[in-house]
Amino acid sequence: MRRGADLALVAVLLAAAAAALVFGGPAATPGEALAVLLGGGSPEVRTIVLGLRLPRLALALVVGASLALAGAALQALLSNPLADPFLLGISGGGAAAATAAYVLLPAAALGGVPAAAMAGAAAATGLVWWMARGPLGPSPTRMILAGVAVNAAASAAILTMLALAPSPRLPGVIAVTMGSFASASAGQVAWLAPYVLVPAFVLLLHGRDLGLLATGEESAAALGVEVATVRRRVFMAAAALCGGAVAFAGVIGFVGLVTPHLCRLVWGGSTRRLLPRAALAGAALTVLGDLLARRALSPAELPVGVVTALLGVPFFVALLRRSA
Amino acid sequence: MTTLLRASALSGGYGDDEVVREVDLAVAEGECVAVLGPNGAGKSTLLRLLAGILPASSGRVELRGKTLQAWRRREVAREVGFVPQIVNFAFPVTVTEVVQQGRAPHLGPWRPPSPHDHAAVNAALARVGLSERSTAAVQRLSGGERQLVLLARALASEPRLLLLDEPTAALDVRHQLELAGVLRQLVAEGVGAVLVAHDWNFALRIAHRVVVLHRGRVRAAGPPPEVLRSELFREVFRVEVDILWRDDGPPTVLPKTIAET
Repeated sequence: MRRGADLALVAVLLAAAAAALVFGGPAATPGEALAVLLGGGSPEVRTIVLGLRLPRLALALVVGASLALAGAALQALLSNPLADPFLLGISGGGAAAATAAYVLLPAAALGGVPAAAMAGAAAATGLVWWMARGPLGPSPTRMILAGVAVNAAASAAILTMLALAPSPRLPGVIAVTMGSFASASAGQVAWLAPYVLVPAFVLLLHGRDLGLLATGEESAAALGVEVATVRRRVFMAAAALCGGAVAFAGVIGFVGLVTPHLCRLVWGGSTRRLLPRAALAGAALTVLGDLLARRALSPAELPVGVVTALLGVPFFVALLRRSA
Repeated sequence: MTTLLRASALSGGYGDDEVVREVDLAVAEGECVAVLGPNGAGKSTLLRLLAGILPASSGRVELRGKTLQAWRRREVAREVGFVPQIVNFAFPVTVTEVVQQGRAPHLGPWRPPSPHDHAAVNAALARVGLSERSTAAVQRLSGGERQLVLLARALASEPRLLLLDEPTAALDVRHQLELAGVLRQLVAEGVGAVLVAHDWNFALRIAHRVVVLHRGRVRAAGPPPEVLRSELFREVFRVEVDILWRDDGPPTVLPKTIAET
């Protein structure tokens, strides 16, 4: 049954990717886009499909996989089903720094926004780490509390800057705070894709350890997990994935929270098995979310974070009620 | 008998709070040592120190003649099965999935379980009588069954030594007797065991020796006939007891009243 589910997952991912290229918007009809994928098409449509839609698809894939993988790892690390990549304040720090960059930087320097977001995410990570650190690595409870505090401070900063932002810069700020792939470029993908490889590898490497950590630190240590080391590595790797996602796509909620739970329903409770599947499922869901964001109110485009939240909230509520 | 684990002048605790002080304890193959003591005596802390989960502040623990610090955590986990009192299951998992975690010390980060791993898991489930419940969600089990799952998880790693933290706390009488039978058989097969227990009579069914902890120190140690004295219970547990000695089985301790101090 698991093999069948794996094949279905790959099929959904491929179908979502193809749909994103073919049905991406009114600028090219599905028939024209399909012709490009089959090797033909006019130069204009080729530019639209390969120069605009393809980088956007690639960015959504990488960001979605990063968020879901980080979410699955953090839920195990914190033994908390309601944990997600944004709980720890990392996205808040990144978004606040990106917002500040949008509001304060001169127009010519706006290419530096992702760098600012990365710096903000790194600063927030350091702050949360410092607050949560303990003899066995960062304590789960303190990580959550520290993350809540950092997120609250980041929200206040974002709202302040939103109030001060000159109106031409508002769309950029909204893209950061609600998530968007609209400004995706091949250059961003070329930067982000290799960057996520190391933290993703670290999380997959510790899949078995994470499954043990989910049952508590004493129980994990007794089964051979170097608790302090694994906590440090997983925290840093998840923070790095989250920081990269925020830098290039803004804050896209619920993918990291909901995807791992969906995968648990299908593939069972083993964290080692869960992590790679969560990454693929997160990529598929994010691509579908972005497609909906583009097409639901076409030609207007919704922020992708709004779509993932609209889809994720009912699921989240159901999950909460089921656990009661 | 080969000594599996030996603690010498072992002290440790949490930060500045030294809970266990200068404890000497040894357990050999095929031997069960029961650690008794009132609440707060340091029993569970001693067990964590013996497992190396909690670092000692002074003294040493030797596992098969080699100091615990010289072992990698994963190697210790292959030798020593630790059965904690409580485990938090935050996510839905089946009984088999939990027991499979016991094989983690034998598997690297990537290697999937081999036929031998599956056989060890099935044997552990059978030993605690949970084979029929292997696909059940752990969250749906009774407290007693969960404790048996944790024992099975420790057994799945095929340890030489078991450290058990109050394994009978949630068990009804029937399950207690079953567990006593399982532990006795393991010990007869050569497994060593350190059993932290509040239930004296359960411990006496299995233990070759008892160690009585009082305020973190060993107050008495030795075979039950040498150690069990009503004065000891009065002083350490502050209760008056009758000790019933039998020719055909372990002694029984009957608490009577709270001791006057």
